[in-house]
Amino acid sequence: MATLTATRPETRSSGTGVGIRNRHRYFTAFCVSVLVVFAAVWLVPLLWAVDTSIRPEGEVTTDPTAWFTSHPTLDAYRHVLSAGRLPAWYLNSFLVAALTAALTVVVCSMAGFAVARVRFRGRRAATGLILAGLMIPPQVLIMPQFQEFAGLHLLNTYWALVLPALPTPVAVFVFASFFSGLPGELVESARLDGAGWFRIYSRIMMPLCRPAVSAVVIFTFVWSWNSFLWPLLVMTSTDTMTIPVGLSVVQDAYGIHQAQVMASAVLGALPLFLVFLLFQRRIVAGIANTGIK
Amino acid sequence: MTTTTLAALPRTEEQTARGDEARAGWGLLAPFAVLYLLFLIGPALYGLVLSFFDASSVRTGLGSFAGFGNYAEALGSSDFWSSMWHTVLFTLLTTPPLVIVAMGLAMLADRLKHGRWFFRLAFFAPYVVPATCVALVFTWMYTPTGLYSSWLTSVGLTAPAWLADPNWAMISVALMTVWWTIGFNFVLYLAGLQEIPQELYEASAVDGASPLAQLRRITVPLLGRTTLLVTMLQILASLKVFDQIYLLTSGGPNYATRPVIEYIYDVGFTDFRTGYGAAASMLYFVVILAVSVVWFVANRRLGRRS
Amino acid sequence: MTVPRTSDAGGEPSRRRSPTGPSGISRRAALAALGVAGLGASTGCGSVLAGVAGTGPPADALTYWNLFTGGDGSHMVEMEDRYRKQHPDVHLNAVTLSWGTPYYTKLALAILGNRPPDVAVTHLSRLPTLAAGNLLEPLRGDDLARHGMTADRFTPAAWRKGQVDGKQYAVPLDTHPFVMFYNVDICRKAGLLDADGRIAPITGTDGLVAALAACRKVTGAYGGVVNVNADPSTCWRWFDTLYGQLGGEVLADDGTRIVLDDAKAAQVLAFQRELTVGRKLMPSNIDGNGVNQLFANGKVGLLFDGVWQLPTYQATKLKFSMAPVPNVFGGAYHCFADSHALILPRNAGRDAHRRDTSLGLVRGLLDASMVWAEGGHVPAWKNVQDSAAFRKLRPQSEYVPAAEAAVYDPAGWYSGAGSDFENIMGFAVAAAEAGQISPDAAVRQIRTKLNGYASRPAPVGGTA
Repeated sequence: MATLTATRPETRSSGTGVGIRNRHRYFTAFCVSVLVVFAAVWLVPLLWAVDTSIRPEGEVTTDPTAWFTSHPTLDAYRHVLSAGRLPAWYLNSFLVAALTAALTVVVCSMAGFAVARVRFRGRRAATGLILAGLMIPPQVLIMPQFQEFAGLHLLNTYWALVLPALPTPVAVFVFASFFSGLPGELVESARLDGAGWFRIYSRIMMPLCRPAVSAVVIFTFVWSWNSFLWPLLVMTSTDTMTIPVGLSVVQDAYGIHQAQVMASAVLGALPLFLVFLLFQRRIVAGIANTGIK
Repeated sequence: MTTTTLAALPRTEEQTARGDEARAGWGLLAPFAVLYLLFLIGPALYGLVLSFFDASSVRTGLGSFAGFGNYAEALGSSDFWSSMWHTVLFTLLTTPPLVIVAMGLAMLADRLKHGRWFFRLAFFAPYVVPATCVALVFTWMYTPTGLYSSWLTSVGLTAPAWLADPNWAMISVALMTVWWTIGFNFVLYLAGLQEIPQELYEASAVDGASPLAQLRRITVPLLGRTTLLVTMLQILASLKVFDQIYLLTSGGPNYATRPVIEYIYDVGFTDFRTGYGAAASMLYFVVILAVSVVWFVANRRLGRRS
Repeated sequence: MTVPRTSDAGGEPSRRRSPTGPSGISRRAALAALGVAGLGASTGCGSVLAGVAGTGPPADALTYWNLFTGGDGSHMVEMEDRYRKQHPDVHLNAVTLSWGTPYYTKLALAILGNRPPDVAVTHLSRLPTLAAGNLLEPLRGDDLARHGMTADRFTPAAWRKGQVDGKQYAVPLDTHPFVMFYNVDICRKAGLLDADGRIAPITGTDGLVAALAACRKVTGAYGGVVNVNADPSTCWRWFDTLYGQLGGEVLADDGTRIVLDDAKAAQVLAFQRELTVGRKLMPSNIDGNGVNQLFANGKVGLLFDGVWQLPTYQATKLKFSMAPVPNVFGGAYHCFADSHALILPRNAGRDAHRRDTSLGLVRGLLDASMVWAEGGHVPAWKNVQDSAAFRKLRPQSEYVPAAEAAVYDPAGWYSGAGSDFENIMGFAVAAAEAGQISPDAAVRQIRTKLNGYASRPAPVGGTA
């Protein structure tokens, strides 16, 4: 901006130019300070949770609002990890989320490809029906779905969480819009080379849509990891619970020990936090491109 | 098939190609279609059926036919309506800050040349934390002897009973929700801001526009579409509230925060009244549907105009 | 809901990469896989098998659910450990769940989901609904007798309450009344103790007000405390204790009829409110932690709470004792009480061997119930209740009569510990105590909310 003003001699007077420039500089400084204040407010709960978790239990009870401790300790973490069922819940959460993400990509990318690139009778109707599914919030279905899974004898298995999560209209449309953005000649020339439709989908189109795959994988994974109501209903055995359910349902028989509670909260949040740090760019790009929520 | 183009193929072969394509289309769609019918459409229809019966989760079968009895009971139940209102109240309390503050923060962050990653981290990090963990942390923040109360006391204010006072509990839940989910909208706005051509700012700066004037005349109007998207996504997300309220207050104190989903959960599972719960679900579904349709129409109109 | 906007879709294909080639993501995936493998190795694959294939627990493993935390929780852990020592061949998997409604919702869901615990704790006030919902396995007399569990060896009221329609469904563990705790030093300074150092009888509402005022003079803050916030059950117990002294009842005919005496209920609520916001003798904005802190730190003289809070204060240096709640309204003796009991949730997959092992656990817990008595509960198992050790235990052995006269929550499918009924009653009481609504408004709220349940056909019972 500065160079721009300098190379334009017709600027009315250098005085106003400097003034505007200063105003912009002050404004930026103002922006930074507002942002810093907000960021501090936003970080406090996270830091406070971590801080509480590394203080000795007795200190937390006697002086609950002190930030500083002279005896930082990892006792709370050690206790939570050894006494609790956290490791098993980690595994359950991970397997459920990974299964859901992988299968959602397969199922929804196939459907997205069919809807976007294959011309067949009933395509419009199918698209409309999938679109209609966007309007059904899963919360509305908890009662009939519970009865359904009880009837299938699948309650307390991973499938009770994975299967209903697979037909995700959003993912179909993410893939569909991605596939329709790819050049049409790719499909046509492959058809002329005698490639079957499934081969076109799996060998030509899928390798090209890594951004869509990663967006769907990340979001399905995060969504599955964080989902609460449905897992709360169907995972009633402590062996099969996911992290959010386990942490909310199973209590410490010895009562509330804040440091341990905060340690388990930190541990429960940690995996996705790491995922976020690793894939920050892709997550942000994914949100910007799709608006999945 | 040889090197001839599709159009030049004899008619029969073209037909086989068409048939082939139809088979491929349905084949590729099949896994999704089966799961979709089994786990989305099927349950939705079954839920509709359930809502007309006095079904119980501890009895087999549908139970006796209730006609519109369950619907009549829900529509006449003050508990149903107050839980519905709590859901709406939560939406009214969370949507404006989650849209406006997110937009403001994104506009401020957009001006930065360095360190944007830090603010993205600070605002978005809570979004990936599971509801249970958020609730554990905020139960601790909100205790009468907790950090927030001690801050207020130290500046001479009386701290409210965050989660215990029925007038404050929903506000406390809403504040926590703003903290938890603002990152998502923040990122959507950052993306929207990226799409505004930089030249517009440069040109207006040359014309001597102040930063505030730029925000007012360029940024906010050009973010219109993003704002519509963010607002509608936010309304739909807020109307589905359950997790954080269930975890933080269990709908209390004195039922002052119980949202409609928790009402459905309570009557359907705690009270075993599956049929009635299904009817309440359907009534709630109608509300969601109405909001979705409004959005769909608004989006269509805007799309056609641009 | 979404508007897909893949604006970069057109540009992306040019950046072709081999899908199998080395990339950041696959390296990360490999790392993640390694991590999971490690986790799998450390947790064993039992849970994964259960998750994928729905396999049941191994034959030598018993799952036992309870809802005890704090003092009760640590005592229960000790009892479980005693059982483990006696039965090293059984792998006992004990789980503590959130108390109250969430526990019973979870229990029902687990039974409907075919993976219930082998043994679970219930409140006897909850038993009729669980049995009517066909959620429990009836306990056959000969099975019980084989483990030495017969009617004559239990507190009669509790054993009888374990039956529904003539069938035994539960083995009672204890009876736990709602009582008054008092700080000995404060009460002495307030002149409330008799010559033996025990609290002198307090009579009438004036008597209680005077006693609390005397304590307040000593502490300088409050005279007494009872939990108000986020604990409707305690609010209901406090209300029920006083309302019962007036001879009041709430429900009749299995919960289909409301027999609330509006005038008496309003009288009790007005008195409770007078103690809090009215005269500020007790705090009106206080939660469980706050109650513990106030009483443990000697900031109040009197505490109204369940006997199960005993260990909480025994863990401190506080000098305190317990007594029945004063009969302030002067009617027949009444105080809230309930019992914990052990049940076998219905499970089609339970074979004779598993049933036998489960009953062995029940018996093992009864035998260890001296530990349970230390937590303030009156043991239902006569072997312990009649033992010299228990008779020496003070103040527990002094309120055994209260256990024998126990009157449970009124029958009704929505009633019992942590139920909608207790929530309805407790939320209204809390709102009145906190000064948020008037006693009359609280009564109206109770009536309206209860009517929603009383007027409906019960979803349990009838055709199974």
